[in-house]
Amino acid sequence: MQTRLWRDSELRRSDMAADRLGDGGGGSSGDGGGFRFPEYEIPELNTKPFLVKALGKLWKERLVGARDFSLEPPAPGSLTGAGGGEEDAAVAEDLGCSLETATELSLVCGLDKLKYCEEEDDPEVIPEDTNLVTLGLRKRALEHREETITVDRICRQETFAYEMESHAIGKKPSNPADLVNEGELILTLNIFYPVIFSKHKERKPYQTLLVLGSQKLTELRDSFCCASDLQIGGEFSSTPDQAPEHTSKDLYKSAFFYFEGTFYNDRRYPECRDLSRTIIEWSESHDRGYGKFQSAKMEDFTFNDLYIKLGFPYLYCHQGDCEHVVIITDIRLVHHDDCLDKTLYPLLTKKHWLWTRKCFVCKMYTARWVTNNDCFAPEDPCFFCDVCFRMLHYDSEGNKLGEFLAYPYVDPGTFN
Amino acid sequence: MGTPGGLHSDFETLLTRFQETDSVRFEDFTALWRDMKFHTIFYGRTRHMEKNKFTKEALSLAWKYFLPPYTFQIRVGALYLMYGLYNTQLCQPKQKIRACLKDWDEVMKFQQDLTNAQHYDASYILRKLRLDKAFHFTAMPKPLSYRMKKNIPRTEVTEEFKEPNDRVMKLITADTLEEIMNIHEHYQEMKQIISADKSQPDKALSLIKDEFLVNIKNLVLEHKQWHEDKKKLFTKVKNEDDQKEKEGSSQELEGSERAGALAKIKSKAYSIVTQASKSRRHRQVKLEPLESELVKKLGKTPCSKRNKEKLESEEETSSQIKDFPAPKRKRRC
Repeated sequence: MQTRLWRDSELRRSDMAADRLGDGGGGSSGDGGGFRFPEYEIPELNTKPFLVKALGKLWKERLVGARDFSLEPPAPGSLTGAGGGEEDAAVAEDLGCSLETATELSLVCGLDKLKYCEEEDDPEVIPEDTNLVTLGLRKRALEHREETITVDRICRQETFAYEMESHAIGKKPSNPADLVNEGELILTLNIFYPVIFSKHKERKPYQTLLVLGSQKLTELRDSFCCASDLQIGGEFSSTPDQAPEHTSKDLYKSAFFYFEGTFYNDRRYPECRDLSRTIIEWSESHDRGYGKFQSAKMEDFTFNDLYIKLGFPYLYCHQGDCEHVVIITDIRLVHHDDCLDKTLYPLLTKKHWLWTRKCFVCKMYTARWVTNNDCFAPEDPCFFCDVCFRMLHYDSEGNKLGEFLAYPYVDPGTFN
Repeated sequence: MGTPGGLHSDFETLLTRFQETDSVRFEDFTALWRDMKFHTIFYGRTRHMEKNKFTKEALSLAWKYFLPPYTFQIRVGALYLMYGLYNTQLCQPKQKIRACLKDWDEVMKFQQDLTNAQHYDASYILRKLRLDKAFHFTAMPKPLSYRMKKNIPRTEVTEEFKEPNDRVMKLITADTLEEIMNIHEHYQEMKQIISADKSQPDKALSLIKDEFLVNIKNLVLEHKQWHEDKKKLFTKVKNEDDQKEKEGSSQELEGSERAGALAKIKSKAYSIVTQASKSRRHRQVKLEPLESELVKKLGKTPCSKRNKEKLESEEETSSQIKDFPAPKRKRRC
């Protein structure tokens, strides 16, 4: 913790020094805390560690707020191409040319110059007389698709994925106070599922979430949905109607994020335990070559405060041992077209479709019960939906028939 | 997630044709754009996700041509290309151009160059893209998700569009050659003045080979020729490669040609080694320090070699930018 704060202040100092020098261009980065730009550590793979908010600062130094990253919609004059006299005057001033030239420019550089005016210009149809290689390839691909298509299953998933990705785009809050701040950073996080099925050998399933730089790590923790948080412990074969309301999330509130040598533990509630302690002690006990790990409170840190490497795998651990790899893939300034409602963040934009485990009897509904040592079941463990489970294991009065152990089951695919 | 097939070659066709016009005017670019019906690149019955992905890839590929090491003209072409792609794309809302922090300073330098050289149309378009909020200001050029290393595609830079990066040419330009020639002349004159016989320098002052200047000139010319030959050969081989796909043999061809060229240079270099008598050879070593001393003595602009080189390279680029005709006053619209 101490070191972290020290590095922070050191960075601020070096930033100030750079400002004093009026250094506009230094693309090179120094070592340790006094970096300038995010840089590759391994090309195309991940960057060196940098402070998230420093990125926002560096960008804002280089941009003109109102022009480049304000959240106002683009000026209407600039959209239609040929702007009025006001627009021309602004152009003349910016470019240092005469008003006459500015007027001419708006005509010469108008968007109409890019369109080839022709009748029957349908974006759905690839023109016959094209010489573009891209179109030739696309045509062949589309023809191939048409010939071989059997089920529109992929299409359905793709539609779903597209809706997921775009549902919040351009949303404005109903309450102006919930508007995202100008110059805010948006981080894109991929959070992987803790699954190790062999079919996922090539591509590990993950969710993609957008968070704001000013949001706390705990906000991500609270919004992130994992089936293991919803599990209910205990055996309920004799009292299937009295399965308690409390899920694991309510009972076991400890969790941590791990970023760049620091464990950020959730310590908001008195019953929270420091899950990272075991790991830190393990690493220190034999000098295992991991350096010194720090631990901090998750609720004290926003994403802006973090030192991270882009593209580098980190960790989210909850329920003691449910471990999710977390990769921050991208950071950028918020744009007018983004979702501007603060309350919708962390925003889920992509989700992997998991196969759901179906009821063994009806093979239709998602399983909600799992049984062991079940005298009625052909398998052990065996999965049932609620209706089939009750019909098979209880009489009309609700009395337990035969011998079995029953546990409530939450399928990871429930959130599909 | 590689670049969709064909984009690369379509962009390069457009940019090559733009390069051939020897102009940086938007008018000329749009003429080519319309001729190739470039806006149709987004056409076809594609799904939303595909459309978004394709547009993203197209914009990020265009962005690459907008940065060094490409020549000024290609970069202007890439700017127009981005403007065209951004405005004709069919995505709703429009996909943005990813500008990363590290590249932005280059963009600003470029904008300054445009303003200085009064290429109003190009600066107008850059300004408009910014006003239209066409950019996403990001940390890195593309999102990074941890992958296996083997999947990383190699990025290649198209040689024909590249700023010629040749140290020899940078060091010895036509101007430097002339400068050296002048110094040499001056040197000879000085020697004559201090010699007893005013018409001919004293033999005791003959410390360098008189023909060394001519030799340097020949060497430089030779190098230039070799460089051009190599470039021609490269494109030739590439074309052949595309046609026949006989990789092995063409590589060999390139290899042997290259070896031949190298041998030629080598023999030339050795033949130039001055055949001084043994007794005088020790003096040759002093050639360089003497020369720099000479510059001091002559009281000429005492700029060091490195300084000079830098100056010249700057001059080079600025002259390159100004090479293109300034915008015409009157335009037909």
